[in-house]
Amino acid sequence: MMKMRQALLKTIGTAAAILTIGGVWATQVRAQATKRTKVVFWNEMTGPAQQKLNEFVKEFNQSQTKYQVVSQFEGNYNEAVQKILNTHGTDASPAVFQSMDISTSQIYHSGYTTPVQKFVDQDHYDIDKISPVARAFYSEKGKLLSMPFNTSQPVLYYNATLLKKYHITPPPTDPSYSDITRVATQLYQRSHQKVKGLSVEIYGWLFEQFMANSGESMANQADGHNGTPTKVNFDTPGAIKAMKWVQENLKSGALMNFGSGSSASANEMAAFLSGKLGIFLQSSADISQLTAGTKDKLGITYYPHPDGQKANGVAIGGASIWISNDKPATVQRGSWEFIKFLMKPENQAQWQAATGYLALNKDSQQEKVLQELYQKVPAAKVPSEQLSKTKPDETNSGVFLQGLIQERTLTQTAMDQIYNGSNIKNSLQQAEDAMNTYIKSNNQANGVK
Amino acid sequence: MEQQVTNNSKKLKQLPQNLSSLKTVSYDVNARDKLHAIWFLGPSLLVLAVFVFYPMLRTLYLSLFLTNNLGKPTVFVGLQNYWSLLTSSSYLASLQATFVYVIAVSILTLIFGLLLAQAASFKVKGSNFFRTVFSGTMGVSVSVAAIFWLFMFNPSIGLLDQIASVLHLPVINWLTQPGWAMTAIVISTVWMNLGFTFLIFFGALQTVPVNLYEAAQIEGVSKSYQFFHITLPMISPTVFFVSIITLIESFKSFGLIDLMTAGGPNNATNLLVYRIYQDAFLNGNYGLASTESVILAIIIAIFTFLQFKILEKRVTYQ
Repeated sequence: MMKMRQALLKTIGTAAAILTIGGVWATQVRAQATKRTKVVFWNEMTGPAQQKLNEFVKEFNQSQTKYQVVSQFEGNYNEAVQKILNTHGTDASPAVFQSMDISTSQIYHSGYTTPVQKFVDQDHYDIDKISPVARAFYSEKGKLLSMPFNTSQPVLYYNATLLKKYHITPPPTDPSYSDITRVATQLYQRSHQKVKGLSVEIYGWLFEQFMANSGESMANQADGHNGTPTKVNFDTPGAIKAMKWVQENLKSGALMNFGSGSSASANEMAAFLSGKLGIFLQSSADISQLTAGTKDKLGITYYPHPDGQKANGVAIGGASIWISNDKPATVQRGSWEFIKFLMKPENQAQWQAATGYLALNKDSQQEKVLQELYQKVPAAKVPSEQLSKTKPDETNSGVFLQGLIQERTLTQTAMDQIYNGSNIKNSLQQAEDAMNTYIKSNNQANGVK
Repeated sequence: MEQQVTNNSKKLKQLPQNLSSLKTVSYDVNARDKLHAIWFLGPSLLVLAVFVFYPMLRTLYLSLFLTNNLGKPTVFVGLQNYWSLLTSSSYLASLQATFVYVIAVSILTLIFGLLLAQAASFKVKGSNFFRTVFSGTMGVSVSVAAIFWLFMFNPSIGLLDQIASVLHLPVINWLTQPGWAMTAIVISTVWMNLGFTFLIFFGALQTVPVNLYEAAQIEGVSKSYQFFHITLPMISPTVFFVSIITLIESFKSFGLIDLMTAGGPNNATNLLVYRIYQDAFLNGNYGLASTESVILAIIIAIFTFLQFKILEKRVTYQ
């Protein structure tokens, strides 16, 4: 019995060894046969966006034999920026990476990247197909630094079913502040104060958009598009109008303050999905979550604008894709090929349908998958329309400034104060002073005169 | 007795001689001891030097610089970082908020931990069950606790506000009103701390000799008198230990704040450690963050020193 067991074990052991050796040999042969150039791609996508992105990577690798893109998840946007800057020039650094909107100036000034404009020119790539508003955000003096990728726009969501229930006329597609006040107040009163009318999250991005939509620059040097900014301006007429609008709705009780940070947006979303909140301002990328989370009919409008003036258009949010310059030319070429693949009309259309981020290729709108989406959720078309309608100028192309995270922290603190009843001008002025001190020492540290 | 005294004085007289003879011998021993000491301490010293002393000195060094967007020190500014922090109203507000938080959390954790431990040590039916429940928060991670409390404090579907509306009490926006946000964070932190504190106190209570209580009972002394004059002095080393640990831990609080309020509203819960995180890892402002770290280290050192000075006088070690 014992002997038999030993013999059996030996056989199994030998067989396993042979299989292992064979397997190793086989993979080596396969590797030699293909010899692809490895392109490491860092990204910060989670949930459905991560799934879809990994599908793209797989499809790209199958679509050609020269490059092998390896996708690596790097945590949240903020952490990724630090990792990218700290690993540059080492073996651990990525060849191509995704970095958030407000890190654009910082990444560019690190000098660690090859502007994608170089490849656009080499290939005579038809860049006009890509949304000009999105491009303007990631450009420096007409030169495209990185390729806009997951792109969203701030929009206004409302619960159309609730409005119908209380016999309220929905807001127009391009609403003014007073249009929204009307709907929010009616909803709050007719529901006997059970449904809050409106929420504007304490979120620096939204604050920036109030200024952009009023046609005002936040930083000097034309929001940094003409040179390194040395000062910011927070207490502009547009910003003050927006904050007055908020305070007015707070006073009437129609506006619900959910605070700031990730818990705020989660609470806001929960309130909207459970029918306790009628209207809120948020990223267009929330659409898929909103349509999946409630049976109520979803309404979407453009970002609201001040009364008595036309909407100037809002900037985008999201992230773009950069090419590192610490890798050999072949790897950089591979990165560019991958970027081109992502920007194909059919892929951009699928991306929007799967995630809620907007398709940036103009030809994507004709794709079947988007047509179907618009048929199912007609409101889903509104963010794309807002994006294509906007003419990029110096005030709605983002702020090209290092230290935008600090700007958001400070404007959020000011909003906090204003939402709790402080004087608008004082709070904004205080934040502005703090930001200007920050910019001064930051410019000094970075050798900007 | 007398003999002993004279013996001792004899010994004393001999002492100088002995000492001098020891001295000559001890030289060699010392050299060898030193070698031994180096062998034994070397590895840990090396590890400490690399992972503790170097970062400490580096922090001190960085605190005197402005850092560029790659995190490298570029402009030497001396004590300017310290000066700008100590004159900034928002930093001073953070400092104040941190003191309020630390003191509230430490005191409440001690009181409730002790109360629970005392309650659980009465031998009644089902006390085992409560002992398990009371120490339960030890097994709860910060993120789970944050999700739980976020739900409790949720302004539209939160349990607390639902209870309030049923009882026709005013609804509180726990996490968005500056005053209440601090209260909410203190409640959640104390809740998190209770499991550990309870366990330590419960253990300490079991070590108090029963005969002391029996004697007290015979004397007809009240329960509260027993608690303050027997229990508390007997477990005072534990109280001291827990108070120091809680104090230092609360100075370093981060997780709940990051997950629940992110320092808001209006910086009401922007405690020192969270500020350091924001300045270093969000703003990439390592110079300023280093300055804040140095200041925090000094504050913790002062507090710990004071605790040793003041509290330890009241501690009775057996």
